[in-house]
Amino acid sequence: MAGEPDSDEVVTSDASASPETQLPPLDILEIEPVYEVLAHSRRRYLCYTLLEDTEWSLTDLATKIAAWENDVPEHTVTEDQREEVYASLYHAHVPKLVDEGVITFDEATETITTARHADQVLTALKGIGASLDSEQETHAQSDMDEQEG
Amino acid sequence: MAEDDLTSSANTHGTQVAQRQYEHNGQGELTTAIIYAIAEADGVSLSEVKSPPLYDSVDVPAIEKAFFGPNGAGDSRQGVGTVEFQYSDYLVKVQSDGWIRVYEPTEADHS
Repeated sequence: MAGEPDSDEVVTSDASASPETQLPPLDILEIEPVYEVLAHSRRRYLCYTLLEDTEWSLTDLATKIAAWENDVPEHTVTEDQREEVYASLYHAHVPKLVDEGVITFDEATETITTARHADQVLTALKGIGASLDSEQETHAQSDMDEQEG
Repeated sequence: MAEDDLTSSANTHGTQVAQRQYEHNGQGELTTAIIYAIAEADGVSLSEVKSPPLYDSVDVPAIEKAFFGPNGAGDSRQGVGTVEFQYSDYLVKVQSDGWIRVYEPTEADHS
């Protein structure tokens, strides 16, 4: 493809436009990578947060996901719980989502932002019935243990 | 090369500086377990292990699947072996029994 965007690529999706009125992006993800992205509970959790806001600091994300997984309020998340999720996001799940073009990651500020394939993945996530209601992912912790590391 | 009797496996791998056992059915991910071992080798906290992401060094989900992943019947595949990879200055070995070992190059390795 001509004109690969450089590293400080801008977010091309307009958050205010509803997916229904948008033409699909030219380079849509195939179905398999979409499901691969959503196959891991931590990546789904990360995607839930993108429904809420298009930009997150990695620390805030780690705190939020640790709270969900441990089923505790965010302010009671321990440093160990937060660090564990942070390392997992930093070393595995964030680069995976960057690879698939779902998010961009600014190393200097440690901020993630939605990228060109975010709409498609979030639409798929909503299509399979997921919502910000974490009730649906109550068993994510045990689910995660059975899956990839 | 001189024998190093402080660590049983100090040979061509250099000197072992950290180890950790990953329990597949326990809590946590293989990626995090490897980072714990590297953090210990570095003497830093987990979140201080930065750049490059482990993702860029080795395909951890592939190791996970090969060693611990379910087979068609839902049992563990029980692959046997060791995967070694370089991370920063360390050599990291992940064994199919779950042991993760981190080695630092010895002087001899620099020659």
